[in-house]
Amino acid sequence: MLVAVLLPFIIAIFIPFLSKWKDKVHPGFFVTIVPALIFIYFAGFLGTGFEPVVQEYSWIPSLGINMVFHLDGLSLLFVLLISGIGTLVAFYSIYYLHKSEQLGHFYVYFLIFMGSMLGVVLSDNVFALYSFWEFTSLSSFLLIGFWNYKKESRYGALKSMLITVFGGLSLLGALIFMSVLTNTTSIQGMIDQQQLILNSDYFPLILTLVLLGAFTKSAQFPFHIWLPDAMEAPTPVSAYLHSATMVKAGIYLVARYSPMLSANEWFFIIVSTAGIVTLCWGSYMAVRQTDLKGILAFSTISQLGMIMAMLGFGTKAAIFGAVFHILNHATFKGSLFMVAGIVDHEAGTRDIRKLGGLMTYMPMTATLAVLASFSMAGLPLPFLNGFYSKEIFFESSLHLEAASTGFTGFMQTAIPYLAVFGSIFTFVYSMYFFFGTFRGKSHLEELPKKPHEAPIGMLVSPIILVAGVIIIGLFPSLVNEPFIAHAAESVKGAVLEKKDIYFWHGFIPPFIMSLAVVVFGSILAISRNVWTPVYRFVPGRLSMNKFYDGTVDRVERYSATITKGYMNGSIGRYVRLILAAIVVISFAFMAITGGFTIDTSNIAEITIPEILVAITMVIAAIGTVLTNNRIAAILILGVVGYGLSMLFVLYRAPDLALTQLIVETVTVALFLLVFYHFPKLQKKDEPLSTRTLNWIISIGYGALMTMVAISSHSSKFFDSISEYFVDNSYKLGGGDNIVNVILVDFRGLDTLFEVVVLGIAAMAIFGLIRYRKNKGEE
Amino acid sequence: MELIMAVLGGILFTTGVYNLLQKQLLRIIIGTALISHGAHLFILTMGELKTGAPPVLTEGVENYTDPLPQALILTSIVISFGVTSLLLVLAYRAAKINGTDNMEELRGTDYE
Amino acid sequence: MSNLTVLPILLPLVAGIIVAFIHKKTTLTRNLSKVFAVVNFLIVGWVFLHVKNQGTLVLEMGSWEAPFGIVLVGDLLAMTLVLTTNIIAVACVFFAPQSLTEKEESFYFYTFFFMLISGVSGAFLTGDLFNLFVFFEVLLMASYGLIVLGNGKAQLRESIKYVLINLFSSMLFVTTIAFLYSVVGTVNMAQAAQRVQEVEQQGVLTTIAILFFFVFATKAAVFPLYYWLPRPYISPNPVVSALFGALLTKVGVYSILRTFTLIFNHEVGLTHSLFIYLAALTMIFGVIGAISTNNIKLIVAYNIIPAVGFMLMGIGIFTEVSISGTIYYLVHDMIIKGVLFLLVGATAYVAGTSDLRKMSGLIHHYPVLGWLFFLASLVLAGIPPFSGFIGKLQLIRGGLGEEEIMIVLVALLSSLLILFSMIRIFIRGYWGDKIEIPVPEREKKGKKMALPAAALLTLSVLLGVGAEWFFPTIQSISQYIMDPEIYIDSVLKE
Repeated sequence: MLVAVLLPFIIAIFIPFLSKWKDKVHPGFFVTIVPALIFIYFAGFLGTGFEPVVQEYSWIPSLGINMVFHLDGLSLLFVLLISGIGTLVAFYSIYYLHKSEQLGHFYVYFLIFMGSMLGVVLSDNVFALYSFWEFTSLSSFLLIGFWNYKKESRYGALKSMLITVFGGLSLLGALIFMSVLTNTTSIQGMIDQQQLILNSDYFPLILTLVLLGAFTKSAQFPFHIWLPDAMEAPTPVSAYLHSATMVKAGIYLVARYSPMLSANEWFFIIVSTAGIVTLCWGSYMAVRQTDLKGILAFSTISQLGMIMAMLGFGTKAAIFGAVFHILNHATFKGSLFMVAGIVDHEAGTRDIRKLGGLMTYMPMTATLAVLASFSMAGLPLPFLNGFYSKEIFFESSLHLEAASTGFTGFMQTAIPYLAVFGSIFTFVYSMYFFFGTFRGKSHLEELPKKPHEAPIGMLVSPIILVAGVIIIGLFPSLVNEPFIAHAAESVKGAVLEKKDIYFWHGFIPPFIMSLAVVVFGSILAISRNVWTPVYRFVPGRLSMNKFYDGTVDRVERYSATITKGYMNGSIGRYVRLILAAIVVISFAFMAITGGFTIDTSNIAEITIPEILVAITMVIAAIGTVLTNNRIAAILILGVVGYGLSMLFVLYRAPDLALTQLIVETVTVALFLLVFYHFPKLQKKDEPLSTRTLNWIISIGYGALMTMVAISSHSSKFFDSISEYFVDNSYKLGGGDNIVNVILVDFRGLDTLFEVVVLGIAAMAIFGLIRYRKNKGEE
Repeated sequence: MELIMAVLGGILFTTGVYNLLQKQLLRIIIGTALISHGAHLFILTMGELKTGAPPVLTEGVENYTDPLPQALILTSIVISFGVTSLLLVLAYRAAKINGTDNMEELRGTDYE
Repeated sequence: MSNLTVLPILLPLVAGIIVAFIHKKTTLTRNLSKVFAVVNFLIVGWVFLHVKNQGTLVLEMGSWEAPFGIVLVGDLLAMTLVLTTNIIAVACVFFAPQSLTEKEESFYFYTFFFMLISGVSGAFLTGDLFNLFVFFEVLLMASYGLIVLGNGKAQLRESIKYVLINLFSSMLFVTTIAFLYSVVGTVNMAQAAQRVQEVEQQGVLTTIAILFFFVFATKAAVFPLYYWLPRPYISPNPVVSALFGALLTKVGVYSILRTFTLIFNHEVGLTHSLFIYLAALTMIFGVIGAISTNNIKLIVAYNIIPAVGFMLMGIGIFTEVSISGTIYYLVHDMIIKGVLFLLVGATAYVAGTSDLRKMSGLIHHYPVLGWLFFLASLVLAGIPPFSGFIGKLQLIRGGLGEEEIMIVLVALLSSLLILFSMIRIFIRGYWGDKIEIPVPEREKKGKKMALPAAALLTLSVLLGVGAEWFFPTIQSISQYIMDPEIYIDSVLKE
């Protein structure tokens, strides 16, 4: 299986080298082989006696990140969808994308996506799963942005990335949390120890994070908004990623974790509500669209909602319906997208207001469309698979297992009505899609191209998919036991009793619901023109989109406002903020830990000369602040420096005194030299508030230093290492002057690099003075 | 005495920081110089003041002032000198090329 | 064998001095520097392997026994960072000729460059607090030399701010060392650690610890001390920005990591919880900054800040898992920041502007640059399986293990915003209408610039995909660092 997952990635690396032959052979032919091989490999697992297979390859075992492939019924369903639809889409794309496009890029993204998606549904290791998960988001981003010269493409790409990566990160949080709680990185391992997670105080957080991941990926309300904008991608991509596979990753995730998560009541409440709301909202919104792909996008949202709702119901029937519908949806929606692509390709537009009456021009396409869209509508015809899963949906909505009190009770009552409501609109847009495009009056003059039937190559893929629709419709048991049943079992976590799929169950409630859908749906579809104003005004134009745009816009704008607010380039402001932080936090710590101590037992006596020097220094230091004469300021600064060297003398530090004296003299000379050219010191023109603030900060900082100094001096807990220097200066260092011996011997490295610092400073100063820009620069 | 020296160090820091918060480059650099003086004074105070003779070995003297802080100060003085010199020249060049020594006028923007 | 420890400091020092003497012969300097950098890298690699196999090397400078003389402690943490530093150095030395004018090169660029490497390596290796101060000064002085190189108008203006803040924090540093010396009577880190553990009344030590934190946090650009960072970092030449972005703040982070695991682990409840809050604020304000601007260089510069938040988060959580995350993130961030600064430098160079609003469709002319940038953005944002993810994974694991939910959620959200800030550059600058090639005469050099960045980026990708080759080492460092006794014993030999 490792080979199967990695194959697309490996081939992707070689795609750029194929571009040499691009003029002769369309690279799509090579690419089509890849999913076909994978499909054949995995199809070998099919059968009634299927048993889950686990294969392990170590990757980063020290972090618990390994390639553990767990192929159970659910994974097998997805794997076959991914590779099967992948083959058809790759083949279809050969005719859809012209050789002049950047085909290399397209197929690289395509293959990366396919490999990642296989990885998502096969990985048992949560971190491997997450890696693949993010890669599907990224390849989707690149595919949506394939025609990045279009503004809408860039917008859609960014939107899909932000929303799905947001979900991805939530998911990551949940996965890490679960792996920390259960001390395993395996999904099955987590499910085995589910009590640890279910009983954790943080279970609500984990549930929220997992569902955020799933809902964003599977475009559930209110995160569905990225999907319609993702339609900017080339149509094969829409058919593949944005209807058949990637958007079902969220469904997959919920299904995968539902054996564990569904033990909590909130799982039912949240997932069912989100699913049903998405179903209704999506199908209602689809009716309002004018772009063929727009209709299909919202239709996908609504169908995903339906699957999600069934997963939320969690009953055996519902789970069965969900996995069955995953398969059915892929067949009819995939073919419809391809039909939309053909129409776009051959008629030059996807605007349904301009289309109409195409049946005569493209009869083959129209036939495919009618079968697929009727299946989507759930028309009760024995050769359309859509009806079967839709009826299981109705049936399961009537038999919920949840408690019948409180909110859950209310939901139980409401769900069947909502299910019918959503399905009515599903019926309407399905009819609208077909009749609007292929029937009615044709407006040839409005079309950019004269429509004609698509080349046979382009029709092959949708024909195969529609054949699937019909075959499943006619012989549902063909896929039931060898396939769907296994998938449902792995979701429910137990062997389900055999469930047969029949067309005719008798005149029971689900069938009545289906009939109601058809009747009301037909009425609404026929009287569509009457309702147009309503569709236009409800809801006030894409509210969630506005929210997204507003958020992105606000994030950028507020960031700019906040940042410009304090990062204004004023060094004074920066220092003020930094000092304020240091002073406040340090004082706080000192107060909390009782860090201030004072101990006067071990201090030197106070003598007059020192006091005099100190007073002089204080006066001089304050003088630097008060004077407005630059020469005076510099000289007063010199006084402080000389005062310091006086103190060094008094405190028995002859070397320091000498050095300080020389350095001070040179510094003052430098100051005078440099500032000779400078403007005069200005009178303080700052407002009193700033000055007060400056004083508060300065005094606070000075006080902090003084207090820490006193405390440190009062806390001499240990003998200093200096005794060693005193003892060994002559014996080992060979010098009388201990300070000098320390400098050149005991701590010679310091001195070496002190010289280095001076050397670098000299070179930097040289550069500052001598460097002149060449003419023309800057 | 150490208490007084600690207070003196604190005052040097206070005036230094106050100067650092001004607009004019000259004052700012004077501020940094005061702060280094304060720092050196603190290092000296952290050894024990006047507990012995100057740290030059002499016959018959047992007690010496702590030599290590002195060595550290010496290194630090030299380094500060290097940095201050660089800062001075830098300030001179920057003020000249930008035509002002007022740091509030030297804020700059994001794009240049 | 312990003499090996000094090589990472000494070799660049010697190289720097040699190239200083021949600075007028640009071609010779340039080629010699490449040779020196590569040789240095190889030798450091060898020393690293030696340490990895044989254990910590302790060198007592001048044979003065610890704690009296200065010790260099070549433990695996220090050597890992030194090695990473040298990898960045090699990439930068090959990038430099494309990006600098010949004149800039002749004004001691390579000397400053080698001194910077020497100072950074010294800071990682030293086991003595005052010596750490000295190495800080070496690397800062070299960085002053680099930041003013070229004498641009805005450059000098920003340099002043940079020098001032660093000067200020250096003074605080040296004062704080004195305070600590007063309390524990030593400047040797191992002995200080030992003595701090023995002290009963620790109030004053905690205050001193916080002052140390502020010193290092100013260099590391932690909230609320990072204001000085973004603009000065983008004002010099791109290669200098890359060196700064890759190395300087990381020295600050390293110092926090070292001192607060080795010495100041006596009040973890107080100090380290502070770190967690500051880490969260650092991430938030950092990404806000990164989103706030349209200057591509500034976007990358702001992105230094949240990364520091991530590393601080690990130190704050203070478990073996989270510390391993911090160390991994440290290595990853050094490399990827180097890559990104080189790439935006190249992008701005070929686009003729660093204003995103004036760019469009660059990918049609510079596909390699564009895809490198895209990949680098993913690595930075921590998309698996690249290197950013490994560090982030361990950090979040550590955080959730200690039930620090707040910081984990902030970290996750920051990752999204980091990706947003970077992908904006890709979408708005690289994608879009194909326009005329801007500044055509720069095409050749611009394409050459991609190579060193690509090499570094490859390493970064390997660091993620091949994490199994690296992570056990990092994990052993983390175990080692959480048990300070090993360090103390190896230095004081008790």
